[in-house]
Amino acid sequence: MLRLSMAIARKDLALCLLRGSGLLQAVLLGLVLIFIFGLAGETGSVVDARTAAAAFWLSSLFCMVLVFGRLFGLEEGAGARSLLVLCGAPVQAIWLGKAAAGFVLVACGQCVFLPATLVFLGQDVCGPLWRWAAALALVDAGLAALGCLLGALGHGREGLLSALLFPLLCPLLLAGIGLGAQAFGNPGEDRGWLALAAAFDAVFFAAGLALFGFVFPGDD
Amino acid sequence: MAAFFAIAGGAALAMCQWLVLFRAPVEESMGIVQKIFYLHLPLAWWALASFFVVFLASAVYLARRTPRWDHLARAAAELGLLLAVLALCTGVLWGRRAWGVWWTWDPRLSTTLVMCLAYAGYMAIRGLGMPRRRQALACAVLGIVAFLDVPLVFVSARIWRSIHPAVFAGGGLDADMAAVAGACVLSMGVFWAGLLAVRAAQLGQTCRLETIQRRKMARNMEESWTT
Repeated sequence: MLRLSMAIARKDLALCLLRGSGLLQAVLLGLVLIFIFGLAGETGSVVDARTAAAAFWLSSLFCMVLVFGRLFGLEEGAGARSLLVLCGAPVQAIWLGKAAAGFVLVACGQCVFLPATLVFLGQDVCGPLWRWAAALALVDAGLAALGCLLGALGHGREGLLSALLFPLLCPLLLAGIGLGAQAFGNPGEDRGWLALAAAFDAVFFAAGLALFGFVFPGDD
Repeated sequence: MAAFFAIAGGAALAMCQWLVLFRAPVEESMGIVQKIFYLHLPLAWWALASFFVVFLASAVYLARRTPRWDHLARAAAELGLLLAVLALCTGVLWGRRAWGVWWTWDPRLSTTLVMCLAYAGYMAIRGLGMPRRRQALACAVLGIVAFLDVPLVFVSARIWRSIHPAVFAGGGLDADMAAVAGACVLSMGVFWAGLLAVRAAQLGQTCRLETIQRRKMARNMEESWTT
């Protein structure tokens, strides 16, 4: 199962990264969001840590919506969804592969969003880098798990995917913003956000493994 | 039976209005405005109960694929969304009069708001022109996922709110208030059960009518080809 998941992830990453179009749109949209947050303040004013973290995570969220819309649109566009289902491997392997590809693509986008947040919103990263990298990975994993499950429902319709995803991701986004604010120097934010993000990941990884088989093949 | 529950619940709710206006004491600090609580609390509780029914019915539908569980889930989602929106509206009106703010990020209100948005998304899927079975599967999955999110939303709103000062502090209820609140919750429950059963039955009948219509059209087409 893992071999098939990695093959699917490699295939999707090759298609998205080599063409570049899917990720480019997502990165541009995220950057525009960060710029607007930066421009919205008074001239010379400093954006507070929590607002900067919110801008970073909103950019990541929009990036994730476009990424998963693109990932599930790959097979739809070529009429190949049924072929993927008929390949004989567990459907959960497809979920794992797509989620892994989505995780990597969102992380690629965040490699642009993070420096943009530091530069344009005037932030500094405080504290041990390994802790913030771990927090980032934890939140991104939750985004990938739920984004992949509901991305299969959206079938390439980004508008519907956004409407479904945004409310459900509130707890994870709040955790991401809390942890991000702490990374940007707001010391009072450490209130169990890591535990909440871990709980979210556990619940939605289990839900994804259990429920993906119902939404991906479907009865058309 | 369903109509009986709906009518009995409606009558009980009307009786509760008398209890609220003439038996429930007037709260000291908030005055008569506090009485909106006797509507707000049952709306919120039965909205959450509706979302739990969506979760259960969706899980059973995925296990058995019987259409009536899909109809029950859809009826519960519609009712839950309506009750949640009304709970939010009454909460906003109460908050504005009692504490001078339209909104406070109280964990319960925040959870209700997020659930409204989640189930609005559920209803958006219902409105798409998807094949029936695919739509039922998609909604069943979303119904389960949305309810799994409820405790996480509540905890996250509680952690977030602990950073901000609370706008108001909650207090306990005295015995008379608790009795009237309990009566309102029970009456709303009877009314809710009736509405849920009536709506689920309506959806089942709509589905049967559509099936009959489709079979008739298919038979007419077959006859027109053979003649």
